[in-house]
Amino acid sequence: MARKCDICGERDATLRVRQVDKAGAADIEICAECAKVRGFTEARKISTSVAEIMAGMKRDVAEGDEAIVCPGCGMTFAEFKRKGRLGCARCYPAFDDKLRPLIRRIQGAVQHVGRAAKAGRRRARDQMALVRLRAELEAAIAAEDYEQAARLRDELGKAEKNARR
Amino acid sequence: MLAADRVGRWLDGSGPEIGVVVSTRVRLARNLDDVPFGIKARPADQARVVGAVRWVLQEAGYLDSGGFVDDEQLTEERGGFLLERHLVSPDFVKSGLKRGLYVSRDETLSLMVNEEDHIRLQALDSGLNMPAAYEAAAKLDERLEDDLGYAYLPEYGYLTACPTNLGTGMRASVLVHLPGLVLTREIEKVLRGAVSVGLVVRGLYGEGSETRGNFFQVSNQRTLGLSETEILETVTNTTRQIVEHEHKAREYLVEHLRVEVEDKVFRSLALLRSARILSSGEAINLLANVRLGVALGVINELKTEVVNRLLVLVRPENLQAMLGERLKPEERDERRAALVRDTLVQP
Repeated sequence: MARKCDICGERDATLRVRQVDKAGAADIEICAECAKVRGFTEARKISTSVAEIMAGMKRDVAEGDEAIVCPGCGMTFAEFKRKGRLGCARCYPAFDDKLRPLIRRIQGAVQHVGRAAKAGRRRARDQMALVRLRAELEAAIAAEDYEQAARLRDELGKAEKNARR
Repeated sequence: MLAADRVGRWLDGSGPEIGVVVSTRVRLARNLDDVPFGIKARPADQARVVGAVRWVLQEAGYLDSGGFVDDEQLTEERGGFLLERHLVSPDFVKSGLKRGLYVSRDETLSLMVNEEDHIRLQALDSGLNMPAAYEAAAKLDERLEDDLGYAYLPEYGYLTACPTNLGTGMRASVLVHLPGLVLTREIEKVLRGAVSVGLVVRGLYGEGSETRGNFFQVSNQRTLGLSETEILETVTNTTRQIVEHEHKAREYLVEHLRVEVEDKVFRSLALLRSARILSSGEAINLLANVRLGVALGVINELKTEVVNRLLVLVRPENLQAMLGERLKPEERDERRAALVRDTLVQP
């Protein structure tokens, strides 16, 4: 029911593979057994771009990369390039100039838009509270409600102290 | 800590799209802010992370519904057993660090300490169910975050050892069974479509593993610059499209090649019921054909759950754990054949 494998001619072909040589590119259809022998798997064939970027980085260690050192863990940028793994949280700011273009290539973005860390969420909440209180205070002053304004000013003072903490 | 004759609740054959989608997984990568990552962590640092995570799990009551094992208990055999059950990654098995592992009793939640990141936690669910898996993972993650300071920068999000996991630190994936698309040779076109929307397709055990029994893992590639919701939606929507293509392929096969499909399915079942020697690779391929037969309604006497269970138990370390003895490969093939025959015995 299926086309036979282009290599062994016996088993059914389950994979289409692009073969590239001097003569040009040609698509062949092969069976799973021959694919295994030749080292093709679907997993490897599809989407290797990130792996390629990481591998390219390893080949491309420049002289200056040894001089960039993370103050947190002592890792050099050259060491990161060779190993493909960072040494600690401090490596990110320490290598930022060199790391940012790489992150952009791998991720297609350099700004986090997902969930904020809890500390970050607390900060964001505190900031929002300040913005709201300032707006209410201005409104109270504009309405000449000085009792309300005094109360809000106290509250704002406390909130500002909290946010600085 | 885990019963060797039972498999995880996420393999119970329930949930949306179960004929095609075996399971859903959400994985989060996290690191502590004040401890060097894997390759720079000294043994004392590594032990500190294990201790801290274990303490939070204890405090939060997670140890009441699961177990925690430390490095000494994670032997090579145990690692293989857990890997075959999708509870740990290949990198964890050979991490070379002082590790720790939490697994919930129903195997839907697991947490690796000191893989390449300090924390890799995952939630598994049956069928296509991203919201449930994400909720379970996020709940444990938030509880850990209450007590452990995570490495985080507003612009880069959660910091990971490898920049490929940066940001959300989240990998959302599905394990799909696509025999219809393989048989109709549409598979590459469909998977290419998934890749074009930024997803990755891998084999049964993740990165670099082979695709066996026509099982594929589909997950997001990017982790930065997208929100958790966007990632979950992209993977879910693309999976729905893959499921639709697979159903169309199966309909085509049943309509035009019914006898051939039935022959393949029933031959596989007959072999499983009769073979005296069965390698794990052969068993997985035959069981995958039977799974298709059950999903198509060609085989009515078996449930997906039974096939799922065997797909785990036929693997070498699981087989030996269940039998409670170490066996040579030839002995394993005989005992595996016996286990499969006994399980699939005709009613």
